[in-house]
Amino acid sequence: MATNTDTATEPAPSRRLRTRFERAFGGDLLVHVALAGAIALVALPLVLAVVMSTQSTTEVYEVTNLGLGSAGLSNYETALTEYNLTRYMINSAVMSVVIVVGKVSLSLLAALALVYYRFPFERAVFTFILLTLLVPVPVRIVPLFQLMADLGWANSLLSITGPYIASATAVFLFRQHFMSIPESLVENARLDGVGPLSFLVRVLIPMSRGMIAGVSVITFIYAWNQYLWPLIVVSDQSKQVVQVGIKFLQGASQSGLTQWGLIMAGAVIALLPPLAVLVTLHRPLLETFAIQQK
Amino acid sequence: MSDFTKPYRSTTQAGLLLVPTLVVLVAFLYYPAVETFRLSFFQTLLLGTGRQFVGIDNYVALATSAEYRQSLFVSVLFAAAVVVGTLVVSLFISYLLFEVRAGASGYLLAAIWPYALPTAVAATILLFMLHPTLGIVTHYLEALTGLTLDWFTSGPLAFGVLVAVAVWKQLGYNIIFLVAALNNVPETLTESARLDGVGRLRMLVRVYLPLISPTLTFLVVMNTIYAFFGAFPLVDLMTSGGPNNATNLLIFKLYRDAFSFNSLGLASAESTVLFGIVSLLMYVQLRFSDRHAHYGA
Repeated sequence: MATNTDTATEPAPSRRLRTRFERAFGGDLLVHVALAGAIALVALPLVLAVVMSTQSTTEVYEVTNLGLGSAGLSNYETALTEYNLTRYMINSAVMSVVIVVGKVSLSLLAALALVYYRFPFERAVFTFILLTLLVPVPVRIVPLFQLMADLGWANSLLSITGPYIASATAVFLFRQHFMSIPESLVENARLDGVGPLSFLVRVLIPMSRGMIAGVSVITFIYAWNQYLWPLIVVSDQSKQVVQVGIKFLQGASQSGLTQWGLIMAGAVIALLPPLAVLVTLHRPLLETFAIQQK
Repeated sequence: MSDFTKPYRSTTQAGLLLVPTLVVLVAFLYYPAVETFRLSFFQTLLLGTGRQFVGIDNYVALATSAEYRQSLFVSVLFAAAVVVGTLVVSLFISYLLFEVRAGASGYLLAAIWPYALPTAVAATILLFMLHPTLGIVTHYLEALTGLTLDWFTSGPLAFGVLVAVAVWKQLGYNIIFLVAALNNVPETLTESARLDGVGRLRMLVRVYLPLISPTLTFLVVMNTIYAFFGAFPLVDLMTSGGPNNATNLLIFKLYRDAFSFNSLGLASAESTVLFGIVSLLMYVQLRFSDRHAHYGA
């Protein structure tokens, strides 16, 4: 906390005493160069993956060959058809959308009760919901797996969505947001005798569009990223999600050579949906994160 | 907040609204978590025909197992390396993003995209780029350093590779929070130092870091949780825990004990240890963010 406020009264000719960093990154131009360089370095593996996804297996084995390859988009085609990536992508999309819709709906209802209802043990209920942050999947994985088997849910969409459709984080975020909605609006609704569900649909949801979009992005990216749980609970390959699907690609080989071009194509395909969602909806996402941390 | 006029009073309606969430949380979170704890005192009999109460034997087995102790050690070391690596790189990029005036929003998106990067995709791409014989990055690194970087056989190198992938994946999330925190620092707190001509690096270390310490704590906790729980695909796709157990993280050992070796009681004890680790982290986060809440803008 001790900033240099005590020296504020001094005149400022001490600018000559620039640090090494200042000299290195002094001008704004240098900030731009450093930033562009850092961003390029972070993106480099992905750019290389895209380039190599167009190469044939022999071209990939010429390690320093950095040109676009002769395979064109055929690796993508092979991955999607022969290696069933289309099926895995559809499975991932269905799973992610079901989780997003389920989680957002359930959490909106819960937040409505927590913020706009007076009922016994409010704090206790909220705490009970928040405490689930302490039990991520690995903490309960063995009984959860057995439970799926007992319910007859193994290998089904229910097993990879059901355990994810309620969430402490989403309830918390909607609760925070509802509490910031002006009381006068709530008062109007009350005086007009608006029922809770039409209050939710007509007042709260329109006023929470940004927050709903933000929570949806977070949830979609989180759901799409799932790997361990589908790997365990889905044993039927045709029902598998794409993150585990790219593991199946690793076995792809042609006359003893691993088809890395094909594998890179698969990795790029599996990245596209969450990347597209992030690019489209990064603004509400950033606003939502700003609230989460409070 | 407590004076907030609540328009609705029906306890039944409130209950109905809460029921879907509570049912899912009880059935799929609370019940299995409690069951994990109970199972950790049992041992599965051969072929899963039944189970037998063994008291704290599973915990004793873990405490005395050299493999488990190594796994714990590797996991803690991994978390430390991921936390430090991620924060250093993210701070560097975030501070540049904060300092740059023109084109900031375009840069921001270009810097945070790894938030959308699934761990399995990150692992697959870097498995190839860093491949000991076919990897382009390894090829040039070896040419530059004259070393042989065969991480398929070297434990420490394999560990380093996993850290690199985890850091790469975590950059986006960290940059999002750091840039927001830096932008939230009130200018009144920094302008005198700035007028004094304090250099950029000293500004960051002396002025900004203390002011954004709640965010830093939050990110230390989130990155640690990622290192303990989210790094599973890295191990599964890149090293399978090897070489010589150098990358046998707790989460991977738990997976193998439960689903390859069918030692469900032992695996449940391992889950319970992981629960202890999350609880500790959440406690640290709560304590620290309470005490330093007034720092935030």
